[in-house]
Amino acid sequence: MKADVLIIGGGIQGCATAYHLARRGASVILLEKDYAGRHASGVNAGGVRLLGRDMAEVPLSKASMEMWQTLDQELGHNTGFRRQGVINIAADQTDMTTLRAREAKMLAAGYTHERILSRAELLDRLPHVSRDCAGGAISEKDGYAIPYKSTSAFRHAAERYGAQIIEGEELIGLRRIGAAWLAQGARNRYEAETVVNCAGAWADRIALMIGDNVPLSHAAPMLMITARIPHFASPVVGAVSRQLSFKQFENGTVLIGGGAKGFADRASNRTRLDYAKLACAARTTAEFFPIMRRASINRMWAGLEAYMPDNLPVIGPAANADRAFHAFGFSAHGFQMGPIVGQAMADLVLTGRSRFDLSPFRINRYDRKVL
Amino acid sequence: MQAFDCAIIGAGPAGMAAAIALAKGGANVAVLDRGARVGGQIYRAAAASPLPDASVLGPDYTAGAALIAEFNRAEITRFTGADAWHLGDDGRVLFSHLGDTHELHCREMLLCPGAMERPMPIPGWTLPGVMTVGAAQVMLKSDATVADGAVFAGSGPLLYLIVAQYLRLGVPVAALVDTTPRQNYLNAVPLLPGALRQAGQLKKGLALLREIRAAGIPQYRFAEGLEILGEDKAEGLRFTANGQPYEIASETVFLHHGVQPNLNMTRAMDLAHRWNPQQLCWQVEADAWGQTSVPHVSAAGDGAGIIGAEGARIAGDLAALNILHRLGHLSEGERDRQTAPGSARLAAMAPFRAFLDRLYRPAGAFRLPQNPETLVCRCEEQSLANLRAGFNQGARDPNALKSLTRCGMGPCQGRQCGHMVTGLLAEWQAEPPEAVGYYRLRSPQRLLTLEELSRFQAVPAPAQAEAAE
Repeated sequence: MKADVLIIGGGIQGCATAYHLARRGASVILLEKDYAGRHASGVNAGGVRLLGRDMAEVPLSKASMEMWQTLDQELGHNTGFRRQGVINIAADQTDMTTLRAREAKMLAAGYTHERILSRAELLDRLPHVSRDCAGGAISEKDGYAIPYKSTSAFRHAAERYGAQIIEGEELIGLRRIGAAWLAQGARNRYEAETVVNCAGAWADRIALMIGDNVPLSHAAPMLMITARIPHFASPVVGAVSRQLSFKQFENGTVLIGGGAKGFADRASNRTRLDYAKLACAARTTAEFFPIMRRASINRMWAGLEAYMPDNLPVIGPAANADRAFHAFGFSAHGFQMGPIVGQAMADLVLTGRSRFDLSPFRINRYDRKVL
Repeated sequence: MQAFDCAIIGAGPAGMAAAIALAKGGANVAVLDRGARVGGQIYRAAAASPLPDASVLGPDYTAGAALIAEFNRAEITRFTGADAWHLGDDGRVLFSHLGDTHELHCREMLLCPGAMERPMPIPGWTLPGVMTVGAAQVMLKSDATVADGAVFAGSGPLLYLIVAQYLRLGVPVAALVDTTPRQNYLNAVPLLPGALRQAGQLKKGLALLREIRAAGIPQYRFAEGLEILGEDKAEGLRFTANGQPYEIASETVFLHHGVQPNLNMTRAMDLAHRWNPQQLCWQVEADAWGQTSVPHVSAAGDGAGIIGAEGARIAGDLAALNILHRLGHLSEGERDRQTAPGSARLAAMAPFRAFLDRLYRPAGAFRLPQNPETLVCRCEEQSLANLRAGFNQGARDPNALKSLTRCGMGPCQGRQCGHMVTGLLAEWQAEPPEAVGYYRLRSPQRLLTLEELSRFQAVPAPAQAEAAE
């Protein structure tokens, strides 16, 4: 099978890249070893957050946030996006000092989307938060979406423009022969001018086939969700310095994250949970929101996610091969960036340029000539 | 932290028999059951029936009292009211008792999760007033309560048993609507000679049917097109039988068409499973002694494939003898010698079970919903039409369908809808059930309050629960 572009990985980055490329007339084949949205893109916490982003990511994340506001109409599918705002809670004055320093930095860079909340404002927005909290910061355009639906929305929109999404097809080998990439899948062979690596927790292996070494690791961030409880919180909740993170969906269920990691077993596609750490997340949640004590946990799970040492993704061209590009290693905060990363990758593939400064995300940023 | 040679989850016939054998063999054994009393579903309250005369429930039930008595005399650490919410293949068991999580470790684990009723997704099956005959049994055994003038519909021995129990107690029954397809009788004939080797069982079954017939309640056979009447609650049952349409008014409709293994324990442990085409259900892969794909985890009883209470006792005993061998208490030869009679007995029971499975094989129209509006997932209220829409959107795998539609995400964790989802996806893709698979399940295996989880540090000293009376 032949196409202009071969994308490896059917997560949100791969599906969004397929969508933008196909929409602009490129022929696209996407290979997914399981099914689209099977791993991190389908089972993450669904946070659509610009608040608190690393400065290097803000331009991309900000552009992506604009896209989320109208994504359902653009894709013609429901992503479940709800603009509810995201609040980071400051537990004490130390946290408030951190927030004020961040505010000064943001304003100096010309960003005004984050706003500090006083204690009274915080209590007004989150009436059930512990009275001991000092305040917080909010980003109003933020919210959440349903991860699997969002990934599927990109996938279907890509297919509408003719992209071929091939599930259950693992990439076994990849070679550059002349001006073509030859790919050997478990079932079929593929040929393309350009290859795009969006393979998430498996992306270092694809990078190796392309010729790039990358210090990628993987882990299993854990989540738990409650049975339905009466509505008590509209914004998505995070914290400045605590492992507190949850959102209440419209149906009343509360998704609790916080970044605690279980055990990742990439070789067997599996994760295991660390209950002591989940207990810790439960304690923090109940401490900040006593109303949550009565909630019942219905399910717990973890997904396989890729991490870079600096917690910033790899986005850009391959260092050691022509016509190969990478978008992976989002380090547990890539879901929100999916829409813009898809667009940026299509720009790179079709024009060789991006309107964003991608230098902080170059794959060879850890290469050192001298030890 | 308490460590045991073996932890048994579930104190029904398989779990109790295994515990007795393990204790006899010198193993340090713990038994956990979520019930306040041991006995499981079949022997629920058998040692302390609230009925003035429990003999109306039949000798198979009262036999449970003797097993419970033997279990209570044995040297076993009993945790009743202990709800296991995590079973690790590292031998770690986390369980709730009186609102707190406790932990124990075991070298060997024996899972005896038992059976649950096969859902019967006819239109209106989720309306208030529609229950399973299992629920009727719980009401009767635990609380000595009954429903007057109920309709009983479906197929299979348990359905006839509860009708007979009602009649013995003098409770009026509106009708027995038998859905066993005519073709099943013909299909079962070739297996009759094998079943005759257990003539006693066959006679018992026939006596039950005669008893019901003699009582003179309205009976309909070869019923099809069942539908619950009523908008907000059950008001009756509509069906056709022999080409004739019928409507029977009743506030209570009990449905039943067989049982299937309760998969959540074995699935959450990610043990290998296979599709059982004879019983139309998933079951955990296990060898002749119940050893699963994880060698130190065994499974016994109906939870490992439907074999009935007597079979479960034997399977529990066999699993225990193998575990004693694995623990070093029995040589291989000794295990083989001691398990030989039980294995032979199980093998002898198999033809009768095969006959029952064939005779009472539920028709596809009752196993899988036919009406687009009928709910498949009760917890998340997902109808057949919603699932079909999800399938049309590209969800080919039960987990993808779950992610897209929420089917199976609710508090029952797919216990009700899991088999239906496998069946529907298999039908829509014209693939065998094995190719479709099942939900990926996780702990907690039941709802766990945030407060309880937040109090769980790592290893609180487990307080031994009060033993059953």
